[in-house]
Amino acid sequence: MSQYDDVWLVIPAYNEGQVIADVVEGARKTFPNIVVVDDGSSDNSAEHIATTGAHLVRHPVNLGQGAALQTGLKYALAQPGARYFATFDADGQHQTPDVEKMVQVLRDDEADVVLGSRFIEQNGQVPWIKRVVLRTAASVSPTARKLKLTDSHNGLRVLSRKAAEQLNITMNGMAHASEIVGFLAGSGLRVTEVPVDILYTEYSRAKGQSLINGVNIIFDITMRERSR
Amino acid sequence: MKYFWIQLLLIAGSVSMALMFIRTWGQAKNRAWKRIAFSVFVVVNVYAVLRPTDVTWVAHQLGVGRGTDLVLYVMVLAMGFLTLNTFLRFRSLEKKLTDLARTVALAEGARHNDARLGGTPAVVAAVKVEVEVEPKPEPAETDSASASTSASASDSVKA
Repeated sequence: MSQYDDVWLVIPAYNEGQVIADVVEGARKTFPNIVVVDDGSSDNSAEHIATTGAHLVRHPVNLGQGAALQTGLKYALAQPGARYFATFDADGQHQTPDVEKMVQVLRDDEADVVLGSRFIEQNGQVPWIKRVVLRTAASVSPTARKLKLTDSHNGLRVLSRKAAEQLNITMNGMAHASEIVGFLAGSGLRVTEVPVDILYTEYSRAKGQSLINGVNIIFDITMRERSR
Repeated sequence: MKYFWIQLLLIAGSVSMALMFIRTWGQAKNRAWKRIAFSVFVVVNVYAVLRPTDVTWVAHQLGVGRGTDLVLYVMVLAMGFLTLNTFLRFRSLEKKLTDLARTVALAEGARHNDARLGGTPAVVAAVKVEVEVEPKPEPAETDSASASTSASASDSVKA
């Protein structure tokens, strides 16, 4: 039994075979309950995940990270005793002590949703060009401003059961981060940010989103607003 | 008739398009208003090809110089609608695909994880359900279908 039996880590993975087993086993030292959503990977991600003690859910086809998160949350919500839900990246850039910190905020009932932020405390690890783009994204987004967020595109989030049940990610691709912030802004849930450290390893740098992808995200979001 | 050949070509195109549309009448679930719209489109098409001066007259009434220009503007509009329609259709298909894939993934995941990670109750339930299904196969079912049902049931019993 662990003090984190009521926490579920949701890890979306797409072609992360190289690192996924290490990341999952590393996280499992603290968090016994992990569900990895293999988003139709074409590599051997699923085999690697199967060697770990994590739950594995496999999309039969590749749908995108947003869809994988939603699937993982739905799976975790169905597990008995699950009260807190953390979204965690598969490439090893997030760290479990940050999640513990964030869960504590929820346990103390100070918020319903805790988002990780790379910018509350300057740790100098974020490459400067990325810092400029992400800060701009956070400051031009009306919803992020409403919530006074400093970092609207951080993949590390911890949700209470109430928040996880309400969240319904429909943007399958990478625009889900903005969609989540938009949902939180209109939900009336208490949202807070906690500083987190991001490990920008060679691997995560290579796998991470290119800045040009930001254009795609803006386009996706614009179309979503229009098609409402 | 100096326009004879081009008119023949365009009308042949319209008529073959109409024929193809009528042939798929029963196959695709075409809504009534789409059928009407398409029929009107073909009739207007043929009329415009035969009486281009009438189109020019309409263009003049709208303040456009030539009939061909009017047709071009209408085409741009139609193209835009078509693109939007296709985009929305894809969006709704993508949503259906996502729901389907998620349902499959969750059902499969629950089954496999219980077997792999040692949870038992759900496995027992799954086997029980399949065994209940087996004894009374639908009479309409083919042999291969009932064979696969029993195969999958025995698989999960092994698991």
